[in-house]
Amino acid sequence: MTYPAMNTAPAHRRGGFISQTVAVAVALALIAGAWRLAGMGDSTLALSLLLGAGFGLCLQRSRFCFFCVTRDFLDHRDARGLLGIVAALAVGTLGYHLVFGLFLPDPGGGRLPPDAHIGPVSWVLAVAALVFGAGMALSGSCISAHLYRLGEGAVASIIALIGVLIGFGLGFLSWNHLYLAGIDQAPVLWLPAHLGYGGSVLVQLSGLGGLAVVLMIGHRRRQPAAPVNESPDNGGVAQKVLAERWPTYVGGLLIGALAVAAYLRVAPLGVTAELGSIARTLGNHAELIPARLQGLDGFSGCATIIKAGLLSTNGAFIVGLVMASLAAALTAGQFGLQPAPVGKSARHLAGGILMGWGAMTALGCTVGTLLSGIMAAALSGWVFAFFCLAGLWATWRVMGFLNRASTRG
Amino acid sequence: MRIKAPIRRLAVTLSLALGASLAHANPDALVSTQWLADNLEREDVRVIEVSVNPGKFERGHIPGAVNFRWHTDLVDTVSRDIIDRDGFEQLLRDAGVSNDTEIVLYGDSNNWFAAWGAWVFDIYGVDNVRLLDGGRNKWEAEGRPLSIRPTRYDAGDITVAEADDSIRAFLPEVVEIASSSDPSAQLVDIRSAAEYEGRIIAPEGVDELSVRAGHIPGAVNVGWSNAVDEDGTFKSAEELRAIYAEAGVDGSKPVITYCRIGERSSHTWFALSKILGYEVKNYDGSWTEYGNSVGVPVTNLAGTVWGGQ
Repeated sequence: MTYPAMNTAPAHRRGGFISQTVAVAVALALIAGAWRLAGMGDSTLALSLLLGAGFGLCLQRSRFCFFCVTRDFLDHRDARGLLGIVAALAVGTLGYHLVFGLFLPDPGGGRLPPDAHIGPVSWVLAVAALVFGAGMALSGSCISAHLYRLGEGAVASIIALIGVLIGFGLGFLSWNHLYLAGIDQAPVLWLPAHLGYGGSVLVQLSGLGGLAVVLMIGHRRRQPAAPVNESPDNGGVAQKVLAERWPTYVGGLLIGALAVAAYLRVAPLGVTAELGSIARTLGNHAELIPARLQGLDGFSGCATIIKAGLLSTNGAFIVGLVMASLAAALTAGQFGLQPAPVGKSARHLAGGILMGWGAMTALGCTVGTLLSGIMAAALSGWVFAFFCLAGLWATWRVMGFLNRASTRG
Repeated sequence: MRIKAPIRRLAVTLSLALGASLAHANPDALVSTQWLADNLEREDVRVIEVSVNPGKFERGHIPGAVNFRWHTDLVDTVSRDIIDRDGFEQLLRDAGVSNDTEIVLYGDSNNWFAAWGAWVFDIYGVDNVRLLDGGRNKWEAEGRPLSIRPTRYDAGDITVAEADDSIRAFLPEVVEIASSSDPSAQLVDIRSAAEYEGRIIAPEGVDELSVRAGHIPGAVNVGWSNAVDEDGTFKSAEELRAIYAEAGVDGSKPVITYCRIGERSSHTWFALSKILGYEVKNYDGSWTEYGNSVGVPVTNLAGTVWGGQ
């Protein structure tokens, strides 16, 4: 068993004429869509579509994939990708605290800032994050990366996303039990409530700085083959922006800024609210999941409400993400329908199910709970990150072992 | 100082008569978006947003406005009641409100909770309270500026009165009216026709239910939205008077408005009481209290049975 090759797309040659034309058409369709939504008087939907597009562009161009960058470090001691995530968290932390100062001038008053993804810290969160991490390792990507891979033509990502929907359904089935067993009495810990905004920024940036130092120490300077950022020819700016992969930190800095803009204007970044809503609506319709999910709608996080309209803000965000990723992949010559053999599909499906269950019970995934949670100085974000990495690492070890055993056998 | 209801009614009626040429009547109850824009800089005007959706105020509000959260600031979060006198007084003082401050309330969703806020203000005898006609929706639709900057005010020194329950109906009174052959007040159910008729128990998506469907016997059904034009502003007093008169509510008798939790019914309470000057109570227990009460009379036109076939 081998991991899917994540990084072998021909990164340095721009797409051909047809690809470029389709890319332009997709980009124009995005703009037209936003224009139309804004014309209908719904600037929030239009903005969500564009923010999603920005997010998709950053994910695809800088290969901002939580699993891939972690694996780069585990396999090759290449810390650049993980440092990109740290960069996103640092920028997001600063921006979020700036916004918090507007939204909630007094952090010690017992209130939480509106909509911020600050969740309960319980053993359920730890288990959910572990399972999510295992699912990431099994399916080769987290949910957001599967979404941008969809734009790159990865058929297997569709299977993983179907798995996510199934996992969400299982999450809804287990929610009421877990809610009473561990979630309802769990503390919701928000650092600024205890440390003030200044103290919270200081602690967060110190933590992220410490993490960056550890990663830099662990980083091996000479990488065997680093196809990510280096170009054989010295193309111009267009080549660097449109065809070459961006260094992950570039994507990270942009995503940090985008996260703040999204929180300020619409809602924190998250990619599972729409998937969860689809699963909940389908499950409800088929009477497969409980009609009443205790306490769920009272938590901030990737809310999974029963669908009322066709297009929600998170739905528009996801559409924008996938379309922009498609346009970016086409431009860079990185689009190609990648087949999904049975073994790979089964692994994607299983990984998707685990991620769906984890994302439902943790109230979000690596984007909604990890990124948006840590930026918001929520302890739940840090706990998710720790256990998600632990689940990923353990699964990576087991799969490596099985892989070696099958090679020997 | 609080004016007795009949005198207030007379005053409102007089002001209505004087202002009959105005398209939208009672100038004492409403301010237009233009008026607010022109008076925003005045230090003795305090704009207060009471919106249903959290995060709405924070992402942009009328410049200088302060935020009252309906579900924590204006209620007792443990027992089902409005905020107590001391808590309300402190809330207003923190918002820089003094006895001579002119208050303008507004909110999202057609001013539902802003109108409910106006009712709470009225219970505690706070004068000088007006509603922004058309609410947040109209202000936004006109492209008027919003601000995300919070504004802090020096503490005010307002003193509020003890709660005056003459504009608040409680269950025993409502049951008595429902049971009487000659009821002392006219009940107005402002919910949807489907709820009123008992075809559904509550609108989709709400958790707070009753275990019985239908309405309070004797109540007439006039949906809250009948009181507003397309842009969310209240209809003229003449139109309102005609609409409610058609349903048999002409102000000759005291009125009690109710809905599911007493929020949307505040909107109709506002129209009938503040614009038309009728004597009106809001029943904030509404259907979630009445429809759960044991042994009270219920009219269930659809015959929907709770809990099974």
